[in-house]
Formats: sequence, structure tokens, C-alpha cells
Amino acid sequence: MSAAGVARPTGKPATVEGRRGLAVLVLLPFTALVGLFLLAPTVSLLWGSVHSARTGQFTLANYSYLGHPLDLLPFANSVELSLASTALGGLVGLLIAQAIVSSRRPVIQEIATTFSSVAANFAGVPLAFAFIATLGAGGLVTRLFLDAGIDLYNGGFKLYSVLGLTIVYAYWEIPLMVLVMLPPLQAMKPSWREAAEILGASRWQYLRAVAVPILATPVISSLLLLYANAFGAFATAYGLTTGFVSLVPIQISNLVSGDITFDPGQADALAVGLAAIMALCIGGRALLERRSTRWLAR
Amino acid sequence: MANDPLLARIDELGSAFASGQLGRRQFMKTLLGLGLGLPAVAAIIAACSAAATASPAAAGAAAASAAAAAPAASGFDMNALVAAAKSEGSIYQTGIPPEWVNYQAIFDLWKSTYGIPINGTSTEGEYTSAQELDSIKNTGKPDVGDVGIAVAVLGKQQGLTAPYKNSHWADIPDTAKDADGYWCCNYWGAQAFAINTDAVKIPINDWNDLLDPSLKSAVGIDGDPTKANDSFFAVWSAAVANGGSLDNIGPGIDFFNKLLQSGNLTAARANTANVVSGEVKVAIIWDYLGLAYRDKANGAPNIKVTIPASGSLASPYADIVAAKAPHPNAGRLWQELIYSDAGQLLFLGGYAHPIRYAVLNAAGKIPPDVAAKMPAADLYTKVQLVTDVSKITAAETALAAGWKIVVNSQ
Repeated sequence: MSAAGVARPTGKPATVEGRRGLAVLVLLPFTALVGLFLLAPTVSLLWGSVHSARTGQFTLANYSYLGHPLDLLPFANSVELSLASTALGGLVGLLIAQAIVSSRRPVIQEIATTFSSVAANFAGVPLAFAFIATLGAGGLVTRLFLDAGIDLYNGGFKLYSVLGLTIVYAYWEIPLMVLVMLPPLQAMKPSWREAAEILGASRWQYLRAVAVPILATPVISSLLLLYANAFGAFATAYGLTTGFVSLVPIQISNLVSGDITFDPGQADALAVGLAAIMALCIGGRALLERRSTRWLAR
Repeated sequence: MANDPLLARIDELGSAFASGQLGRRQFMKTLLGLGLGLPAVAAIIAACSAAATASPAAAGAAAASAAAAAPAASGFDMNALVAAAKSEGSIYQTGIPPEWVNYQAIFDLWKSTYGIPINGTSTEGEYTSAQELDSIKNTGKPDVGDVGIAVAVLGKQQGLTAPYKNSHWADIPDTAKDADGYWCCNYWGAQAFAINTDAVKIPINDWNDLLDPSLKSAVGIDGDPTKANDSFFAVWSAAVANGGSLDNIGPGIDFFNKLLQSGNLTAARANTANVVSGEVKVAIIWDYLGLAYRDKANGAPNIKVTIPASGSLASPYADIVAAKAPHPNAGRLWQELIYSDAGQLLFLGGYAHPIRYAVLNAAGKIPPDVAAKMPAADLYTKVQLVTDVSKITAAETALAAGWKIVVNSQ
């Protein structure tokens, strides 16, 4: 940011110096925040992950999980759950967001936005209980199906499984997708479509040549956000499955709070693995964001 | 206090002595004249003379050593203890919540019998065992506490508990008390099946019944066994009933693996909401929890609590008196109350099996209306009480390794 000012050779040297001083001053609180809440924990995590929690000596043993298929299963479960709930939440959320934008009735838009903001933040143990009451073995919907002659639980469905968790996660992934996709969808100008139609484009051609290329980046970056969101979630999964579905955040919690399995070093190593995946997602999102803002900002 | 003329007279004499109006010899003579035994008189005089010269805490400590020196075996005098406790004025508890195992009724009995106020905030009443030890170590306020067995042992090791052998000491199994009196188990719970008989149509009497194909997603435990004590004991009980032992939890892990593979084990936690709503149809939990859930459900659904026929494990709680108790005699009197027939039967009324259960049962002292609400006494004959902390630790370690394989191999 300040680099752009320096690179431009037109300003007087004194002004550049002054501006730089101001920029540093303005950045100071932000730097402190990032340092305290992002860099310091990351450094402590990395440090802890290569030191034994018992002896304090340097070791790579904490990363031994990388070589054990059984210990990698939580990662496989987490990736599966995050991909599935992202796909479900992303698709349904995008359709709902488009429907809201197309409706042109401010009341519906407001209600939908408000509901989405609430639902996107409804998670944890309350959500788990809500789903037990709905889709649990004795839940309302399960009983309705049973009355209709369909036994969900005998048919292989279980709320307390990766499939069940996918549905539960979609509960907040869908509204989150709606919230993050509303601004780019609203920024799609009717004039672009009119221009395409005047030039003789069919509806399909407009979608393929105009809408998809512009929306591709916000959609992909929203999906990455959803993915990261699902990957780090803990309370809902734990409240629902009491640890029977092995996920990375649950494994970490077992290692830092379990009386018996206490091993913070290994927890740090798992967290580094989790952080690496999250960093990839968020980094990818940031890269894509840069491309899309060009079109949608104006 | 005033409802006991003898105690009122002792109080009166005590204050006269403490303020110097009455000589030591005269005081002692009068007390003996009232019919009190020598140890009691010694305790009272120690308490009162210390009160005259030093802080109340020191008075308590002096009286306590007098009381401790006179345990049940060697001419225990209840009246002296009561008098000494009353002169201390109050008792301070931590980790004794009124809603837990009928403690409210025991508090009421204490107040109506001795009239000594019970202090301690409700937050302190909800303290976990570890917090209780911290409180004893750091605040010096608590006199008595109710702790898990492992913490009781730890408390002795750290010098935080005081020795006291209550007058029913001989009734208590050797494994359930510290040989030197630093802690004593007060009640226990055994692993049981709480069965929703409206939803489950087959009879369930033993562990293998849980594998029946009609029980899909029906069987639940109370949390993650590597974290929660209740479900840890569920796995360990399954071990003991299926060829394992207190030294070998392996068969229990195998049993739960079988249960999981059969599709019968649900991940829904066997808590009140899930059991009462029918989400968990057979809960493997402490008997007292199952009985409390049954009462809560009140017939909707019907819940039956039974002890598995091939046995299960029981885990006791222990009672401690703080080493630095400000009211040591009140603390010891509390012990006398909870180990008395009345106190022990109140635990049973709260569905916890008192440590003197076998003795009380053999003597026919268990009221029929209390017994009718519980699983039959003969079902408990195969229940083993676990008090060996080193075995608990070893089983926990073995479970942590084995359980990961169960969960991750789904």
C-alpha cells in the first residue's frame, strides 16, 4: 500500500517521507493487532508443534500423525464434510441469493437478509439440539417419514454421521452464502444484459460470456470462505456426536482438554495442519478477490 | 441450641470459663457433674480455654485434636463433639450441591438436629473435586467437601485433608476408606441400563441384549469415554462383564466396537433431554442418573432402570475434612451425620447407594418405600466398587489408545 506511493517518482522527496511517517503511524494499531492475535499465536503454534510437551526438547515426533492412516482419518473426515457442506450450501445459497435479487421487492430482500444474518450465526450446541429434535432418531421429521412408511434410520441415515453433519452445517452455510453473494449479484448491472440483448445475444450466451466470467471469482471466493468456515467448526459437531465422528478440531480439543490424552505438542502439530489448509483457502480467496473487484466495484 | 438444656448449660459454663468468671478446676468439676465423659470434658475445656486466649480458629484446632484423639474405638463421645461443633458456630462446605444425591435433605437434617448454620456459596457448592482442593489450599475457608476418589487420594498426598474415623468406621469396606482416616467413601453409583420400555419391546437384562438387531441407533452413553467419567465406567463395566477385569479394559473396548459396528450405538449423548425425548432408548449410565431421568420423564416415556446381570462397576465419592478447617469439630460432626443411619438412608433416597448399604440392608433398615424405587438389592451383588486409583489411571490410558481406533475405524 505505502509501496505504491514510494514507487511513484513524481512527488517531492520530503512529502513522500512525511506520508510514509503518517502511514506507519496509522498502521501501528493494526500491526499490533495482527502481531498479537495472528502472528504471536502462529509462532507459538509452530514452536509448540516441534517441541515435546513433556521434555521441552526439539522433536518432530508431534508430526508423526502424517505417517499414520488412522491419525489422518480426522483430516479425511473434515475434508469430506467441508467439501460436501460447501457444495450444498454454495449451490442452494447462490440460488436463493439470485432469487432475492430478482424479486425486486424490498420487503422480501430485507427479511431474507435479516434471517440470513441470524441463521448464519446460529451454531453450536443449540443448533445441535434443534437438529436432534428434528432429524434425530426420535425427531419430528424422522417421525413424519415413519408415518409415511419410510424408516430413515433403518435406511442407513444417521444424524450423527458425516452425512448428518453435512446437513447441519448447511444450515449456516446456506445463509452465509446468501449474505456474501448478495452484493456481487446486486452489482450486476441490468444495462450489461440489455447491451448483450441488443447485440443479439441469447439468454444462454449472456450467461456464458458475461455473467459467469464476472461472477466466477466472487462465487469461488465465497465457496472458499464456506469451506474454511466448515473446516474450523467445532462446537456443533461435538454437541451432536460427542466425538464419535472424528474431525480435526475435535481431535485437537481431545489433546488439549482431555485428562487422559493430554498432549499439547501434538495438538499444536494438528493445528498447524489445520492452519495450513485454512491458509490455502483464505490465500486463494484473497487472490481471486483482487480480480473480481475490478468489475464489481463501480 | 436452646432446645437442649444440657448443651445450653455447657454453653453457659463455657462462656463463664472463657471470660474468666469460672476457674478451670471448677469448670471441669461442673462438667463431670453433668454426666459428661472425660474426653468430652477435655475437648470442651481445650476449646474454651483456647477461645479465651487465642483466635477462634486456634480454638477449633485445639478442640479438633482432642476430638481426633478420641475416635470411635476409644470411648467416642458424641455429646462432646456436638458441643464443640456448636461452639464453633458454623460449618463451611464446598462441592456439596443441595440438588445432588439428596444433600438438601441432609442439610435440613443437620440444621434441625444441631442448629448450626451451613455456609458456602452455591457456586462453591458446585465446585468440581479439583476446585475443592484448590479452595482448601488457597482460601482456608472450607471445612468439608465431597470429592471423587482420585482427588481424595491426592488431597491426602498434598496434606490437605485431616484424619477422622467416624463412629461407623467398622461398617465401611477397607477398600472404601483410607487406613489412617484421611478420607472415607460416603456413597457410590453403579453403571446401569436405563431402558425406555415404551420404545424397546425386548427384555434387556444383560450386556449382550444390547446387540439385538431391533435396537438400531438406540443405545447411548453419557459422553466421550476418554473425557467423561460416566461413559468411561460404561466401557470398563462392559469389560468386566465380558471377560476383562479391573486390570484389562480391552474386552470393553471390543464390546463397544461390536455395538458400534452393529449400528446400535448412537452418538447422541445419554443426557436428560435425549433420554426423556426417546432419542436414546437404552442409556448406559450411573444408576442414580437413570433413576433421576425416570422420575423426570414421569411415565412419558416409561423408563426402567436395571443393573446388568453379569455385573457392572461402581464408583464411589469420598468425604473429606479440610486439614486447615476453621471449624474442625463441625466438620467431624458432619461426618457423623452423613455416616449415621439417617444420613446414609437420605443418600439412598437420592438414589445414591450409601457406603453402609450392605450393612443397612442386612439389618433390614432400608424402608420398603425407598427400596421400591430402586433396582432390587440382589441385582447389586455382582457390582464391584472401584477405589484403586492406580487401576483407574491404567484403564484410562489403555482406553485412550483403544478408543481412537474404535472411533476412527468406522
